[in-house]
Parts: sequence; C-alpha cells; structure tokens
Amino acid sequence: MLMKEKIWDWLTSLKLAIVLASLATLVIMAGSLIMHYHPRLFGDLDAVTLGQWYPQAARQAPLHTLWMPLAALLLLAFGVNTLCCLVDWLARLRSRWRKTGEYLIHFGFCLLLAAFFWGHLAGYRTAGNVLPVGETLALSGHPGLSLRLDDFRPVFDQTGRRPLDMINHLTLLDGERELARKEVRTNHPLMHRGLVILPASFGQEATGFRVLVPGQGTVDLHRGAEIRLPEGKTLTVLDFLPSARRMGDRMVPMGGLTNPALHLRLAGAGETLWQGWYVLREGVPQELVRQGAALRPSEPLYRTYSILTINYDPGARIALVGGLAMCAGVSICIFSYYAKRRRQDHPDIV
Amino acid sequence: MLNPDSVLLLQGALGLYLAAALVQFFLLGGERRALRRGALALTGLAFALQTLYLAAAWVQAGYLPVTNLFSTLFFFSWAMGGTFLYFELRYRIGAAGLFVLGVTMLLLVGALRRGPMISPLIPALDTPLFTMHVAFSFMGYALFAMAFSVAVAYLLPGFLRPPSMPPRDLLRRHNEEAILLGFVFFSLCMISGSIWAYVAWGYWFSWNIKGVWSFIVWLFYAGMCHAKFVRRWQGEGYALLSIAGFFVVLFTYLGIGLLLQSNHPLE
Repeated sequence: MLMKEKIWDWLTSLKLAIVLASLATLVIMAGSLIMHYHPRLFGDLDAVTLGQWYPQAARQAPLHTLWMPLAALLLLAFGVNTLCCLVDWLARLRSRWRKTGEYLIHFGFCLLLAAFFWGHLAGYRTAGNVLPVGETLALSGHPGLSLRLDDFRPVFDQTGRRPLDMINHLTLLDGERELARKEVRTNHPLMHRGLVILPASFGQEATGFRVLVPGQGTVDLHRGAEIRLPEGKTLTVLDFLPSARRMGDRMVPMGGLTNPALHLRLAGAGETLWQGWYVLREGVPQELVRQGAALRPSEPLYRTYSILTINYDPGARIALVGGLAMCAGVSICIFSYYAKRRRQDHPDIV
Repeated sequence: MLNPDSVLLLQGALGLYLAAALVQFFLLGGERRALRRGALALTGLAFALQTLYLAAAWVQAGYLPVTNLFSTLFFFSWAMGGTFLYFELRYRIGAAGLFVLGVTMLLLVGALRRGPMISPLIPALDTPLFTMHVAFSFMGYALFAMAFSVAVAYLLPGFLRPPSMPPRDLLRRHNEEAILLGFVFFSLCMISGSIWAYVAWGYWFSWNIKGVWSFIVWLFYAGMCHAKFVRRWQGEGYALLSIAGFFVVLFTYLGIGLLLQSNHPLE
C-alpha cells in the first residue's frame, strides 16, 4: 500500500474519530469544572469572543486555561478527521449514497466547527451600548456603520412594574444610506451580515427642566434651548447637569437627579450680559431676576434610552447552514436506519 | 374532566403505570401472553391519559407547557412513557424497560407533589425554538434512559435473566436503536437551542456549564454512534458505554441543576 493511501486511511479512520471524540470529551469535562471553580478568571465568557479573551487570560493563568487550546486542538483534529471522511464518502458517492444522512451530519459538524472558530477569531461582542431615542450610535467595530433608534417602548406586566419586553425601532445606516430597519424586541434581533443587535435593557435620564416664564408660559430648558426676553435679550442653555456639585468655581456632575443645575448665558445687543450656573435648589440668580428672567422650575424633562447588545459573528450564517444540514442529516438517518434494517443491510464492522 | 387544574388524569395515569409495572414484574416469572397484552394495554391507557392531559394543558395555555418544574417533570414523564410504549409495542421489550417505567412513575409522582400549575409565558420563552429545544431534549433524555435500561438488562448474567426478557442479540439492537434515536433528538435539541440562543442573546454557543455539558453529551453519543461499527466495542462494551453515557446525562440534567449554578435551573 502506498504511503499516501496509508495516511489517507489513517485520516479517515473510524478509530481515530472515536479516540479524538473521547479525548475531547474528557478535556472539556475537566475544563468545565476548572471554569466553574474559577469564576473570577473565566467570568462571563459569553460577553466576549475567545479571540479577545484568551490571550490575556492565558498570560494571567496559563495552567488554568491550558485545557482550552488542548480542547481546540482535539476538536480541530476531530473536524479534520470528519472532513476527510466526508471527502472519502463523496469520492465513493455512487456506491455509498445510502449513508447521505450520516454524512450530512458530518458536513454540518465541519461547518459548525469552522463557524465557531471564525466567529471567535474575527468577531466581536459589545454590551451596554446606550442609545437614546432619536439619536445615532456609530458602530466602533464597523467604521461607517451607525445605528439609529427611531422609537422605543417598554412593555410592562399587569402590575406595571416588571418590564417584560422592549420594543425598539432601529435603523442600521451606512453613512446616510439605510441598510436595514426593524422592530427589535426579545427573540427578534436586527441581523445584518453577521451583525446581531438585541435589546438588553433600558433607562431614563433627565435632559433638562420645564420652567414657567412669566408672560410666556411653560418652556422646556435643555441644552441649546433659548428664551426670548424683553428688550431683545436671549437666555441660552449651555449645559444641564441632573445632579451638580460645586467644587470651587467649577460644577462637577454627580449621579442621579438630586441637584439639577442649568448653565445659562444671558445676551443682549450682541454681548454677554451674564453667564453662570442656575442651581435650581438655590433659586434663580439675582442677575437673571434683575434682567426680567424670573424662572419658576416645574418638572424635569426625561428622555428614554435603550441599552443594546451589539455582536458581530461572521461565522453565524455558516453555523446556520451547518445546523440545518445536521437537522436534515439526522432526519434522513432515522428513515435510512429503519429502511436498512428492513433490507437486512448490515453496516461494515472494523 | 379535561381541566388541566385537576390532577385526576395524572393520578389515573400513575395508577395504570403502577399496575402495568406490577404485571411486568409478575411476568419476570414466565411468559403469559394474556398478561403481557394486559400490561401493554395498561401502559397504552396510561400514556393516553397523559397525552390527553398534555393536549388539554396545551390548548388551555396556548403553548406547550414546559415553563416550570411541574410542567417539565410531567413532560419528561410523558416522553419516558412514550419511549417505553414505543419499544413495548414494537419489540415487546417487557422487563428490559422496567427502569424507564420506574422513572416515568417517579417523574409523575414528582410532578403531582408540585401540584398542577402552569407558569405564564414570558416573551423570552415565547418562541417555537424554545418549545422545540425543551421537547427534543426530554425526548433525547428518555431514549438515553431506555438505552441505559436495555444495557443493564443486556449485562445481566444468564442465571439472573428472566425468560420473558428478549434475547441478548435483540437487546443489543434495541440499545443501538435507542442510542441512535436519542442522538437524533438530542442533536435537534442542540440545534434549536443554538438558534434560539443566537436570536435571544446574540451568540449560538454558551460557555455556561449546562451548555458545555450538553455539548459533552452530544460529543459522547456522537462517539458512541461511531463505536457501534467497531467490533471490539460491540455488545458488552457498547452496553457499558450506554450506562456511562446515561450518568453523563444525569449529571447534565440533575447534577448541574442541583449542585452547580446554571442558566438552566431546575426550578
């Protein structure tokens, strides 16, 4: 027998498949327990790709992560063995077509394995992407692409407290061009060429304050808003902090909505008459009152934002094809198993 | 009668399964055709009652009720009962499947102790992929349990093997069939679960311990499907592998849920 044939026989060997599958099973069993008992190291491994996570983790704990490349190597070898068997079957398809089901499973497994490694090496995962309604978020992993949240509506249970779903109207843009638009909610992500965008959570943030202006009624003050005052003066909102704290001359933002403050500029005849912070709890600054801007705060202005998970897996579509091939394979397998048994068609035993 | 809040159907099914198991025990002493038919009829009737309850609960809820411990225990017992009935109808497996019958009753008792309660469907579970994932997984587990039961019967020494049990060669074939069918259903469970994970969380393979061990179960039985073509592993070797595989399944289903933290809690 030629050396080439010997190598091919070894690569397509059934015993090699059993040895590799057994070894991979044992290594992954041990690895799963290492993962469980070292949660600090392995943390939420689903939040990142292996390509992002492994290099740093391997430097940090080479012994505890050693099982991963070992398992990868064994699975890759098992994948190569499966692929060789598939090629060998294809070469003899005319006489072995009855094994189509079994080899569709092989084909599916090869695709799934390739998709897994490709996705983890070339993909990325990001969580906690905050996107307020009406705004656009640039996708850092995809230069030129951005995501716009057109509308957002949370769905609550009967008590009105527990959120059940989050309905996001999202548009994926390439520059100004619309690539995809979808109502995104639980189990219904926006998918586009390996990108998958899902709702994770939502929240509200104060963006300004509604005030009562004598003679003008209620006016919404948020960054960029202007109020026209008598004698051609204008009051412009330069900034808004939901919670501010004085640190000398500066205002420092704090968390929550406990001490709202508006940074205002009063201008008239082309020049700034006054500029400063109006801390709502401290009352309207005297200069503003003198200039006729006796504002009376009424209620905070809120805007809703969605928190999105944005993942990119270039292998996802290949994985889907692999999964479907495997589904078809196992379905055919059942029928062919009983058909072969009826025909007394016994398999080759090695 | 068809009210899913009433446990009458389930209690009836449990009583019938118990009667069938007692008849099967009696048959261990020797073959009696009339009794065997009676045992089969009792099992069939019990499974019919379970199916009726499942259909009523499904119709009332509007979705396959597998959303809490009561409903999963019940569904698992239904899958176990169905598996036993299939092998009994097709091959008159009798005492070789007694373990499966026992587990069916245990699961039913577990479900009855919890009391009938069907949790409302939250949007995260409101997808056919979830239904398929759970249904296929329990069907796979039931078939792996059957393989275990048949493997134990296969390994029984000659003097302990009752005359009513199928011959060893048939038991070997039943074991292989149970493994193949279990692998088929478990593969469908893994694929539907992966697609669901992708649309729900944005990745199709989870490093959660349950996800990893499900892959281990799949890999183990994939290896077994190959091992049946190796002479050395046929017969006793294959039976031993079936028993080992079932312990891997038990750890994946029960061990992880009870001992470790997972995103597939038992409760």
